[in-house]
Amino acid sequence: MTVVNRGALAAVAAGAAALAVAAVVAVVSRPAGNVGTEQAAALASPTPSVTGPAVAVVPGALPGNAEPVRPVRLRIPSIGVTARVDPVGVDERTKEFDVPPSVDQIGWYRYGPGLETESGSVVIAGHVDSAEQGRGAFYRLRELAPGDTVTATGDDGTERTYRVVAREEYDKTKIPLERYFARDGRPRLTLITCGGPFDADARRYRDNIVVTASPV
Amino acid sequence: MQFAYLRRVAAGGAVAALTFVGAGIATATPAYAADSKVSVVHGIPDTPVDVYVNGEKTLENFEPGDVAGPLDLPEGQYDIALTKPGEPIGQAILTADDAEVPGGANISIAAHLDAEGQPTITPFVNDTAKVDAGKARLIVRHTAAAPAVDVRAGGSPVFEGLTNPNEAKGDVDAGNVSADVVLAGTDTVVIGPADLNLAEGTATIVYAIGSAEAENLSVVAQTIEGLHSAPSGVPSGTGGQAGTGLGTWWYALAGTGILLLVAGGARAAVVRSGRR
Repeated sequence: MTVVNRGALAAVAAGAAALAVAAVVAVVSRPAGNVGTEQAAALASPTPSVTGPAVAVVPGALPGNAEPVRPVRLRIPSIGVTARVDPVGVDERTKEFDVPPSVDQIGWYRYGPGLETESGSVVIAGHVDSAEQGRGAFYRLRELAPGDTVTATGDDGTERTYRVVAREEYDKTKIPLERYFARDGRPRLTLITCGGPFDADARRYRDNIVVTASPV
Repeated sequence: MQFAYLRRVAAGGAVAALTFVGAGIATATPAYAADSKVSVVHGIPDTPVDVYVNGEKTLENFEPGDVAGPLDLPEGQYDIALTKPGEPIGQAILTADDAEVPGGANISIAAHLDAEGQPTITPFVNDTAKVDAGKARLIVRHTAAAPAVDVRAGGSPVFEGLTNPNEAKGDVDAGNVSADVVLAGTDTVVIGPADLNLAEGTATIVYAIGSAEAENLSVVAQTIEGLHSAPSGVPSGTGGQAGTGLGTWWYALAGTGILLLVAGGARAAVVRSGRR
């Protein structure tokens, strides 16, 4: 075998190896994809109100303090998550969800329903990662699949278990946030993080990953 | 005792919109117009009433300080009459004829005292526009027999010079606020202070009712829910470790691989054919 021939074969081998690596990367980094989209939409559709013949009459008392049950801890065994939950609102300037800066903590939207709710979406969002702190609590959120369980512990000490019904990925410019922050429809738990292609210049992911879970 | 106040008001054009009804009336109006949500607020002290709508008794023994509704009412004209409980409609103490209920609105109809202490009916259109995420709407309505007032929150005036039968409103940060009502331009507290829990995404409507002279000023509150907005986004990642797109390096790698395969294969073929 000539030296030239050996070089050619080496080139072929290197090319094959490069393509194999590229193929593996392509498979591993494929988008999470959507599952259970219809089920999630069905949960969000408004529950028909019961209208009786009687006119509701209530005392016109000043609105009191109806404190919701706030989640303090979230466990998702299938992706190894145990995280502290902080009550958060919106950023004063951007009006965006005020996700806790510490990536191992996650935030419950305190303006929406609490765990005791009989309607609407309890929203918890957390970082997938950060440039400074590395992987976040919701790094593996996109691996969740229908049937996985999520357990939220409330500040009333009660654990409530939810079962994943949907996992969806949306371009951030197209995500129907009003549906995931709805206060009507069936009671449900909505987990949100970032995902999809990463824009290294803007330091920003293109998409949001949204997991919807129903109370068990 | 305060029935003495109640004078029969033959209301004509003065009263605009009116109220809560049974299904019978619903059929009388065009189907294409969106219904309105109509609530009724009782702000006349010490005077329980029966409420008749288009001659039909709709509310029985409606107590001062209570709020009825909201009812979905088709657009149309309604006759309203208030009687002492159990009395025939012919002896109504307050009436409003041909009150207009527009389509698709949210309306509160307040039975209350005017600035001089006479019972009257005032319709208010409720602002149900969405509030920004994190905000709540506070609406204050002067429906009491009292002079102009200022409304203060945490000791500083937020609404000034409010007179009967007008309203003042604003969107504020959701949460608790301690509010009181003072005579306009003074520190003379006439109502409160009271703690208000302004829930995010709601409108809280506070009616000042009663009479300064009779020293029975108080408040009635009504809450409208569902005015919330979602946050503008959920920014939750800056690291890029979980990025799923294929970067330019991937295309470079794949392209190099193809080039090596083609070039190497061609070279091998040339060498083999040259040897033959």
